[in-house]
Amino acid sequence: MNKKVRVIVSGFVLLVLLLSLGACSSKSSSGSAGGKNEIVFWNPFTGPDGKNMKMMVDAYNKTNPKYKVKNISLAEGDMYAKIPTVVNSKRNIPDLNIVHAERIKQFVDKDMLVPMDDYLSKYPDIKAENYIKSGWDIGSLNNKRYSVPLDVHSFVMYYNKDLVKKYAPNALDDNIVTYDEIKAAGAKAKKDKIIAMPVTWMKPTFLSVYSQMGGSITSDGTKPTLDTDKAADTLKLYNDLVKSGITNKDGQDAGQTFKSGKAIFYAEGIWMQNDVKSAKNLNWGMTNFPQLSDDKNKMVNWSSSHQFVLLKNPERDKKKTEGIMKFIDWVKDNSLPWAEAGQNPAALATLDNPDYQKMPQSFLVKDATEQKSLKIFDYKYNGYVSEQLDKIGNDTVFGKLDIHKALKSAQKTVEDKIAQDK
Amino acid sequence: MDVKLSENKRVDVLSPVSLKPRRKGFNVMPMVFIGPHMLLFALFFLIPIFFGVYISFTNWDLINTPEFVGLQNYKEILFNKESTFYAQLHTGLGNTFKFVVFTVPACIIIPLMLAAALHVKPKGSKLFQAIFYLPVLFSISAVMIIWSMMFNVSFGPINHYFSSAPNWLGTQPYAWVALVVVTVWWGIGGNMIIYQAALNGVSKDYYEAASLDGAGRIQKFFHITLPSIKNQLLFTVVITTIAQFNIYGQALMLTKGGPSSSTTVLLMYIQQNAFGSGQSIAGIGSAMAVILGLCIMAVSIIQFFLLREKK
Repeated sequence: MNKKVRVIVSGFVLLVLLLSLGACSSKSSSGSAGGKNEIVFWNPFTGPDGKNMKMMVDAYNKTNPKYKVKNISLAEGDMYAKIPTVVNSKRNIPDLNIVHAERIKQFVDKDMLVPMDDYLSKYPDIKAENYIKSGWDIGSLNNKRYSVPLDVHSFVMYYNKDLVKKYAPNALDDNIVTYDEIKAAGAKAKKDKIIAMPVTWMKPTFLSVYSQMGGSITSDGTKPTLDTDKAADTLKLYNDLVKSGITNKDGQDAGQTFKSGKAIFYAEGIWMQNDVKSAKNLNWGMTNFPQLSDDKNKMVNWSSSHQFVLLKNPERDKKKTEGIMKFIDWVKDNSLPWAEAGQNPAALATLDNPDYQKMPQSFLVKDATEQKSLKIFDYKYNGYVSEQLDKIGNDTVFGKLDIHKALKSAQKTVEDKIAQDK
Repeated sequence: MDVKLSENKRVDVLSPVSLKPRRKGFNVMPMVFIGPHMLLFALFFLIPIFFGVYISFTNWDLINTPEFVGLQNYKEILFNKESTFYAQLHTGLGNTFKFVVFTVPACIIIPLMLAAALHVKPKGSKLFQAIFYLPVLFSISAVMIIWSMMFNVSFGPINHYFSSAPNWLGTQPYAWVALVVVTVWWGIGGNMIIYQAALNGVSKDYYEAASLDGAGRIQKFFHITLPSIKNQLLFTVVITTIAQFNIYGQALMLTKGGPSSSTTVLLMYIQQNAFGSGQSIAGIGSAMAVILGLCIMAVSIIQFFLLREKK
């Protein structure tokens, strides 16, 4: 009797276990992640911008398309860790994906993306003329189109209107604030314990100034060029600003300083707009990132871009892909919610909207010279360079690390990492 | 009569009846109970370990098929003095060891002292027990965000109340101090609970006897309390050491590995190599992880031999 009970109980437990496992595997082995008429759309928008993306997707689904979009926002790090895994296993591959512009070259190199040319022929409006140039160009490799841009987001400069009036009344006349003007304003404001400009994110700062100096992070698209005189001059420029006491001190919160009215200028991304807005009693404006010269044609504003791509997926059939193109085409004409998240939509159609024209970040898109200044740092090994810049940026600028030594080690690290790519 | 009884017993033990369960061989019941655990253990522990070790012998970008390269990754990180990865292992492992040396003693002694203090049952001991235990329940990100505000140069309470101005998270030796303080604060509760339970298990008779012999509090602590909870101490020392070797979140979120890589611990390098923003170098990352694993194993074994009961 006892034995029988045992056998029955154990048999039951085993059965439940097997069944539950079976359920797991059958769910994940369906190949494509989406259902038949569903476009599974992965994106890295987990911040407040995620809400705006969801709004857009919901609005699209309300138009009753044959293929509805299922919006899945993943933390950026998780998403980029997941992509190789799903592509490798050929399971749960999203139908549509947003990735950063800098990743595309590497993804194409690894043969992970599907070219869109065949499908785009049905959507003639998805073409260069209708998008911001730098955002559009990045998706074209080996004469094939691998991506369509959603936005171009730039690292610009906010300013405190009241303080500008007081310490740098003419700096903004041409909408270009030069480093000389910043230094002069800082010298004037020092006695009132107001700083000119706190040091913020050094990666885009470095890339922007380095490029203004005529430097480039790669000489031939493969070899990194970080250990150069121009790179040293770039870091030295900021090191000097720190030394002259017109920036924040090491460790002091830059955003807090600006928002509490203790800094005249504040270099940050356009995506930080809602944060700056949250500061009460702050009368602020937005302009170009600081420049070395006031020549408009030499202007550089560091930018990146979110791009729609199709990861290789044997299960995504032609009809579904056409459904995806329909969504991308719809986004082109309905990007206003994305602008409301603080971004600049890559599709120029949004420019016709008066609401968008009133938004501070739209100055970057309105005129052609500004558009030309939006530089995306497109280099296959951009990720390695970014990591090094994040590592040495603050330490060198605040004098904790020797500039030449730091650049030398950054150069060597990137080279060694590239050498592993066999 | 007595003899007869014991003879009976002997016979019973040797009889085929008593051997029956053994002969039946495989008993399903225990397997059913440990089965789910074994399955999860294999799925999330054994398989990843073997896979990780295998990856450390390959060159892999997470996308294409791993290419077997033998011991090349180990050669690169252990012997190629010119290599960035050699420097990373060196710096990372060095900083990790430093962190272990700085935190483990504090993570043992402070909870032990608190447990001993609470053991006397002072007024409000339950409340304090709850307060000391509370941080363990917080997630690492919450703890690090709170403390990065506490240590903030311009509006942090620490600089405010001590009227000091060091950049706690950006200069040495303050960065190490901050990391140790946060880690100890965060982890007090776990070990403290173990010590409290252990202290409750020590018989009061020993203390009374010692009092009669004229032993003071300190003598009692070192000669009665400590030897009595030796096993729990051994357990916590080993577990705490292993936990601190795996330091990652604190350094990543609080000091970001700085200043000048002086708090960049090995797991940060491993993570960046395998899952950084550039193309993955999973082979090197895995090899570093294996080295870290071996270090943890070696240290644990040494601790175990040093602290085990001498027979």
